[in-house]
Amino acid sequence: MKNLLKSFLFILAVLFILDRAGGRLMWWVNQHSQDMSAPKLKYLADEVNEDMVLLGTSRCNFHYVSSILADSLTMSVYNGGIDASDCIFTHYFALNQVLRHHTPKVVCLELMVNDFKLTKNSFATISFFAPYIGRSEYADSVFREAGNYWKYKLCHLYRYNAKAVSNIGGLLVSRQQGAEGGYIPLPKPPFFPKKVGEAKTPTKVDTLKLKYMQKFINRCKEKNIKLIFMVSPAYTVADDDLYDVLKNVARANDVPFFDYHSRGLFIENPEYFKDSVHLWDRGAQLYTPVFAHDLKKYLIE
Amino acid sequence: MLFNSLHFLLFFPTVCAIYYLLPFLKLRNLFLLIASYYFYMNWEPVYALLLLSSTIITYLAAIGLSMKKCKKRKKLILVFSLIINLAVLFLFKYYNFVAENLTSLLTNLGVAIQMPNFELLLPVGISFYIFQALGYLIDVYKGKTVVEKNFFTYALFVSFFPQLVAGPIERSTNLLHQFKVKHTFSYDNIMSGICMMLWGYFLKLVLADRCALYVNIIFNNVAFHNGGSFLLASLFFPFQIYGDFAGYSMVAIGVAKILGFNLMENFRRPYFATTVSEFWHRWHISLSTWFKDYLYIPLGGNRVGMLRGYLNIMITFIVSGIWHGANWTFVIWGTIHGVLQCIEKFLGWNKIKWNGINRIIHWALTFCVVCLAWIFFRANTMGDAMYIMKRIFTDIAMPYMRVADFLAIALALLIVFFKELLDEYGSKIRISDSPIWIVRHFYIAVMVAFIILLGVLNGDQFIYFQF
Repeated sequence: MKNLLKSFLFILAVLFILDRAGGRLMWWVNQHSQDMSAPKLKYLADEVNEDMVLLGTSRCNFHYVSSILADSLTMSVYNGGIDASDCIFTHYFALNQVLRHHTPKVVCLELMVNDFKLTKNSFATISFFAPYIGRSEYADSVFREAGNYWKYKLCHLYRYNAKAVSNIGGLLVSRQQGAEGGYIPLPKPPFFPKKVGEAKTPTKVDTLKLKYMQKFINRCKEKNIKLIFMVSPAYTVADDDLYDVLKNVARANDVPFFDYHSRGLFIENPEYFKDSVHLWDRGAQLYTPVFAHDLKKYLIE
Repeated sequence: MLFNSLHFLLFFPTVCAIYYLLPFLKLRNLFLLIASYYFYMNWEPVYALLLLSSTIITYLAAIGLSMKKCKKRKKLILVFSLIINLAVLFLFKYYNFVAENLTSLLTNLGVAIQMPNFELLLPVGISFYIFQALGYLIDVYKGKTVVEKNFFTYALFVSFFPQLVAGPIERSTNLLHQFKVKHTFSYDNIMSGICMMLWGYFLKLVLADRCALYVNIIFNNVAFHNGGSFLLASLFFPFQIYGDFAGYSMVAIGVAKILGFNLMENFRRPYFATTVSEFWHRWHISLSTWFKDYLYIPLGGNRVGMLRGYLNIMITFIVSGIWHGANWTFVIWGTIHGVLQCIEKFLGWNKIKWNGINRIIHWALTFCVVCLAWIFFRANTMGDAMYIMKRIFTDIAMPYMRVADFLAIALALLIVFFKELLDEYGSKIRISDSPIWIVRHFYIAVMVAFIILLGVLNGDQFIYFQF
């Protein structure tokens, strides 16, 4: 028994040292990685100074060409869409990272059904900003809400689990090639998607997500930021009322809502899509002017 | 309760501590039995009744067998018990499959009869514990093992939690007598068990679950991918299923070891096999030996004529395929393995010990055919499997890439490959067995840190639970 206790204590001590040292090393890796999301998150947290900031998930990342928007709206634009961050909690965190040091004039939030739909795990995609635990009160608050804050607080290495390989890989190979103002073009796919199924209106709404949506809107109001909601095209036929829950929230807060998915924009053009939910570069180059035109018209009015 | 859940990481040390604190063997066994049922009931409590029923039936049948002298009556008891247990297995696992196929066949013959379908959830590990119980019963019938008269000891043998839901499918001759010995607290057993568990977790969380991220995307969306992606996914799946299943077995063996029990080896570096027959001596050993002892040999094995010998191989492997699941994909998978072994037997390859370049050629050949057969095992439908095969051979193009996952898989595979290479060629170099105390302990801490950093820690199910 004595031997076992001695062994366990030694292993725990070494593990503690490895965890803390590894945590520091991985933070350095995260901050220097050129993978898909870490450099964008770092830019949003430390450097962004553009007039307009777009937030959202991969559909934001790949669909809005910053230079087209900048030329059309005559203001500087940064596309802060982060791959695989499809829920309002991550957008709320990203917005607050920006507001710590900069107040943009316009914030555009690309929305998805996941931003209000009740899912098995509401917080499934928040782990990519776990490295910011202890460094951002907003990261801490979201993880506390998710109920797994203590795991990350206790174990520093665990904070990097979701993106460790991606971060390390990003030191070797840059995933930011072709990136311009945060926009990352998707290459042409080997073949274009086929129409599968329909985007049905979810029946169950996650009230916690709506609470965070309201918090997001309130933060913009506090800082006098013009907030825009939009849903870019997808290659699925959508129910007319697919985004009604979000549209009601927008209406109640006087936030414009540009919905190109329910409208069926590009629904006859599979050649613009990489898959059923992502436009590749050609689609993005054609879609961004449409959005820029509508947005400009709205801003002038 | 999954081995890779936080729940288990709290459950197991608690069980261990109480187990070793209990002074009497009977108390310990009773406690292990309660813990095992608690472990099982974490999935679907009501299905513990099935486990209990199977235990009671086989227990009573074995007692009956030991009491009867008349051969005919003994046979009757055995057959009756086999039928009841296999009927339960059939109802939960195969009924819907048979009903659907029968309905479809009758419809094609112009008979409009709709067989009813039951919405039954497959009880976790049902094929494993029923096979273990039946193995015991057949052994009692054949006089290979002594009947266990203590119901609680027997119930523990059937439900022992480390191997209850995904094996190894233990033999009474190996496990049952271990419940009759009071295992003393052993530092060496505990440290060795921990190392086994860690390696199991590494295989599951770092290798299998990382491969699964890619494989699932491709195999679950066949309409959207090209031959290149299918080829890559088909190369990853063998490692996914190996990491998943061998990982589970390793954790199970480690858990049992910590409690003082020795479970049988279930995997012996299967991808180093140079023939398909050898593959089956290394893959899921507890199941393949079960089929050998309780099906292949009773059918006559290879001591019958040549054609009958081939037939016995085919029957054994088709049944093995069906054991894995109620889908034609599993039947085809089993059939392919049966056919390949018949071919090897015909060519005499199963008796040759290949060396040098021949060994490399036969290893590569075996690996390729096993990989191709896995496509049928993993594909969701026969249509998908055929489509994937066709695209692999006709549409090789740039695959769908997930660079980060590929890097992680490559790293994990490299580590697994070198470890298994050392094991295969009998090298004694083991960091985990180093004579230097600090090195051994440092290894454990590094492995834990490595799993925390690079493991896929979302509590995914083990593939073999569905069987």
